[in-house]
Parts: sequence; structure tokens; C-alpha cells
Amino acid sequence: MTPVTTVPFERLDLLVHGTPTVVLAAGDTAAPPLVFLHGAGTWHGWGFAEPWTERFRVLIPHHPGYGDSGDLEGLQDVHDLVLHYVELFDQLGLTADVNLVGLSLGGLIAARFAIEQKHRLRRLVLVAPAGLQGRGVAFEDVFCIPPEQLMGRLVHSMDTLAPHLPADPNDVDFTVDRYREMRTTAIMLWERPFDRVLPRWLGRVDTPSLVVWGEDDRLVPVELARCWVELLPRSTLVTFPHAGHLVLDEAPEASAAVARFCGTD
Amino acid sequence: MGLVDQAEFHFFHFFPYTDLPPDHRERPSLWVDFPNTNYDPKTGHELYNRYLSEMLLADKLGYDGLVLNEHHNTQYSMNPAPNLTAAALVPQTTSWISVFGTPPNLGYPNRLAEEYAMLDVMSGGRLRVAFPLGTGMEYWANAVNPATARARFRESIDIILRCWTEDGPQTYAGDFYTYRYLNPWPRPVQRPYPECYIVGTGSPETIELAAELGFGYSVVFIPRTAQLKVFDHYRERLAAHGHDPTPDKVAIGVMAYVAETDARAEEEFLPHVMYFFENALRTTPRYLNPPGYVTVPEFRKRIQAPDVHGSANWEDLVAINRIVAGTPDKVADAIAGWIEESGSSRLNLNLTLGDMPNWKVVKNTTLFAEEVIPRLRSKKEAA
Repeated sequence: MTPVTTVPFERLDLLVHGTPTVVLAAGDTAAPPLVFLHGAGTWHGWGFAEPWTERFRVLIPHHPGYGDSGDLEGLQDVHDLVLHYVELFDQLGLTADVNLVGLSLGGLIAARFAIEQKHRLRRLVLVAPAGLQGRGVAFEDVFCIPPEQLMGRLVHSMDTLAPHLPADPNDVDFTVDRYREMRTTAIMLWERPFDRVLPRWLGRVDTPSLVVWGEDDRLVPVELARCWVELLPRSTLVTFPHAGHLVLDEAPEASAAVARFCGTD
Repeated sequence: MGLVDQAEFHFFHFFPYTDLPPDHRERPSLWVDFPNTNYDPKTGHELYNRYLSEMLLADKLGYDGLVLNEHHNTQYSMNPAPNLTAAALVPQTTSWISVFGTPPNLGYPNRLAEEYAMLDVMSGGRLRVAFPLGTGMEYWANAVNPATARARFRESIDIILRCWTEDGPQTYAGDFYTYRYLNPWPRPVQRPYPECYIVGTGSPETIELAAELGFGYSVVFIPRTAQLKVFDHYRERLAAHGHDPTPDKVAIGVMAYVAETDARAEEEFLPHVMYFFENALRTTPRYLNPPGYVTVPEFRKRIQAPDVHGSANWEDLVAINRIVAGTPDKVADAIAGWIEESGSSRLNLNLTLGDMPNWKVVKNTTLFAEEVIPRLRSKKEAA
């Protein structure tokens, strides 16, 4: 598949412990690194990351089993992706002072990565992260949302997604690519959608952290934000009105807040 | 000896729950999420008794066997635990009992090896089994990951075969199951184990597995002509794995209704066939294909194939399935043709389907036994 990119991202093709891995890269190679871990879909573009390229070396890897990256053989759970990123960070020389930003599933991976690899991180940003059950917060399992409703559930306004959707809603390539990404997500999360490591160990992460949420998130509700902030010792919460799960796509202020937080001394 | 001579006729019953609420047509799926408040246990009790009596009638009429299958969360089948039904049939019957079957990866494989061995011992060696992967719907209903279902399926079968072919106690260290003392009692009467099939929908992985293990293969939910290609491929792979591709290795499904005239047969059969395809099978693409249930290339094929779950007209159904309604001559001719074209000597007969009333099941099952089977037998004598 071809992700929609408008700017300057160059495509790096790496082999990460046997897994063909695509990394989109932009910005000055000498600038501080900002790694963005995407959610369970790679199709809605990277426009929100473009402003970051002014101040950061932005690196957007496609997870194994998503987008243009190959499948990780023997994939079992999120921890396999944590190890995949340990290896990728080593390859890219990302040993310290990394700004790590994760959205949704990518937020879960980033949080799990931070628990084990916080020494590599300067800032941690979790954008509407998945994986916490939350006490008293009811929401629908992503696998149970009919596909024809899923796109709408991601955003406050469908205008956000229109440029990234195929003209034909039954487009075979698009449907197959989404199936592959849901398959990878299912391998990791079908049996245990809620992470059992986070509640016990997230308190280890003393990295300065920002939790970002769209107030109209109809996939992973904003009520979960307080659970994350309670668990993360050095965290701040910012929320944005008129924005859904894809808050970075819908609220330019959210994208700017991420850059500001990562750029702060 | 022609293929028809070797044919075995097995009476297949789906045990449907047919008392649907009047507004059921508004629901896109009568599987997975169709509320179980629509199930009335009193009606269920009456239906179990009725369906068991129909199975017993088939046994008395001399059918070679009785066939059961398993589904969950659905009106399509009241057999989420077909071994219980099989156990109820065992002491009252003399024919083969085929459990076609429990997906071995939905529970613990040692337990299924035990249950099948129990049935085989209780029946004195009359059990046959099939291992289905299970429809996509079963993975929404059970706590098993569809994305790893195939690997778990393979491992489950491996464990069951070890239970049946190697002396216990053994140890087993798999990706999904670990056994410290794999030592199930009882062991099956039939040595090394009851005849086994794999039930699939024609995916290459499943065919390869059946061929590798030397199991029979039965295919469901795909058009008749596509099935023929699948059978050819399966037999080729079976031979490649050193197994003899005998006609009993392939089982075909036939929906048949016999009456005094063709017109009467069609009139009596058609509403229940339509009910079966439009209602009993009605579900959504999402439930059919949970994430990872099929490989990515297989998914690409499937979304471009015709949908058989919930929409149908008679002409199309007859054109793509093995469906025949008519006089004994017509039905016998059609079936002889299907036996020859598929190279199969195992027929799983749906002589009852959907909301067919008991009198029609009795009439059809009796006429088929008394008028169709002898005609097929006499074909071989004439030939």
C-alpha cells in the first residue's frame, strides 16, 4: 500500500532482527530525534507530523504487520514489538534523549517500551493510548465495532479522513490492507485487550510525560486519561475539544503541544 | 465396481432452532449476537426429542450413518456440544455415528480425545470424526484467538493423534498446550483410531493438513464446481504424501427431497431450502471473517467471491449447490452424477433442512431410503 504523505518523508528500508521494516524519516539528521509510533492503521497520513520536522528528526516506523513493514515471524504480544523497537533504536543509534510519541496502539507500545527502556527517553507523549481498562469506564472493544462504523468512530469530523479514504468503500486493496493490520492487532490483543503490565509497572517511568486526548474520542474515551495520569508519576494531561481519537489529525494545537512539550528544556 | 456401489448414505441433521421471532428479518445476523432470549427451552426440549426421533428413524431405515456437527451462539444448530447428542444416540442405534465435529482448538485437546474415545468405546467402534476449524462465527463466541486459530488447530490435532497412537503417559510441550502427563483413559476401540476427516472451505492450508495426515476431506460453503477443483487438488496432495486417494476420502454434501412428482417435491422442499439459506445461514462478513481467521491472500480471494450467507434465489442455489427435489428417478440420477463427478463414495445427506416439519422429514427420509437408495444400488447391478 501507499501511505499518503505530502512532505519530505524519505523512506528507509531496514531489516530489524529479520523483519523488513520501513521507517519514514524527515527533518535535519542532527536535530533531536522524535519517534512516532502509529496506531492500528497506517492509512490516515502523517500530515500532523510535518510541523515537527522543523525542530526534530522525525522518524515514523511502520510496525511489523502494518503498512509497508513485513510481518514479525512468531509475533505473540506487544512485548515482541517492544523488543523490535529496542533493536530498531539500536540500529538507528537512538540510545538517549529520544522523544517518543505514541498514538492509540502506538501509545500502548510506547508506554511498555518506556517501562523497560526509559533511559533512552527524554520525553514520553501518549496520545489517546490503548491498553488500560480503567475503573468504571465502559467502552466498546475495537474488534466489535462494525468496519463500516469504525472510520467514523475515529474522528470528530469525517472531513478529516476524506482525503485518505478510497473512492470506492469496497476497494479491495484498501480492505485487504486494513484486514492485515487488524490481523496483526488481533494476534497481540484479541485474547487480552487490556495490558496486564501497565498497572503494575508504569509507575517506574519517571520520564516527563504528556498525555494528549481528544475530548470527543469515541474509540478510547477521554475518561481514561485520568487513569494514565495517575499511573505516570511525572505526567501532564492536555485535552482538545472538537477532536476525536485521531486528535493529532483534527487539532493542529494538539500537534503543536506535542512539539512544544518535546522541545522544552 | 463403480463408485455408486461403494457409496455410503449418511443422514445429517443440523438440529436447528426454528421458532424465530417475527422481526428476525431485521437482524443482519442470526449468529453470534442474536440474543439468546429468543431461545425458549420448552421449545428446545420438544425439538431435541423430535430431532432425535428423526435420527433414530434414519438408523432404522438402514442409512449407513448419522452425522452431527457443532456451532455456537446460533439458531442454526442446537448442538454446541454434539458429543452429548452422539452419546444419546449410541445405545439406540446400530449405524455409524459421525461427529463432524468439534473444533479441537476451542477447548482442550486431551478432553476431546477422551470424549471421542468414550463414544467409540460406548458404541463398540461406530464412531467417525471430523475436525473442523470452525466457522469465523465460532471465534466470536469462544475465547480463542482467530488470528492464531490455525496454528492452534494443527497442534490440537497433533495432541489428539498422540493420545490415540502412542502409549501414555507422555509429555507434550507445544506452543498452546503443555501436558505433563498426557495419558487419557479410555482409548478408542478402533485401532489406531476412528476414521478422521477434516472439514474445510477449500483453503490450501487445510487441504494440505488433511493430505499430510491422511485424513478424509469434506468441504462446505463453496460452490459445487469449486469443490471439484478442491477435491482434485486434495487427492493430488494426498498421493504426494503417500496416502491412497480412495473414494471414501472425500465426503460430499447433498440436499435432497423426494416426492411423488418433481413439482410436488420442489413445492414441498423449496420453502425450507430458502429458509435455510436466507435465515439459518444469515450472518455478516465481519462475523464470517474475524481478524486473522484466514491468511491475507485468502481474505483477498474471499472478499471477491459470491456471498452464500443470507441471500439466495432457488435457481442460483440449485446451480451452485448439490440440491435436488423430485421423483426417486430424478433424485437418484442427480446423485449418481454427483458421485461420479466428485469421485466420492461418502454422502452426507441433508434430507431435513431449516424449518421443515416432522411429517416432511419422515416422508422424505423414508422415500429416500426405500426408493432412492435401491435405485442407486440397481444402477450398479445394471452396469
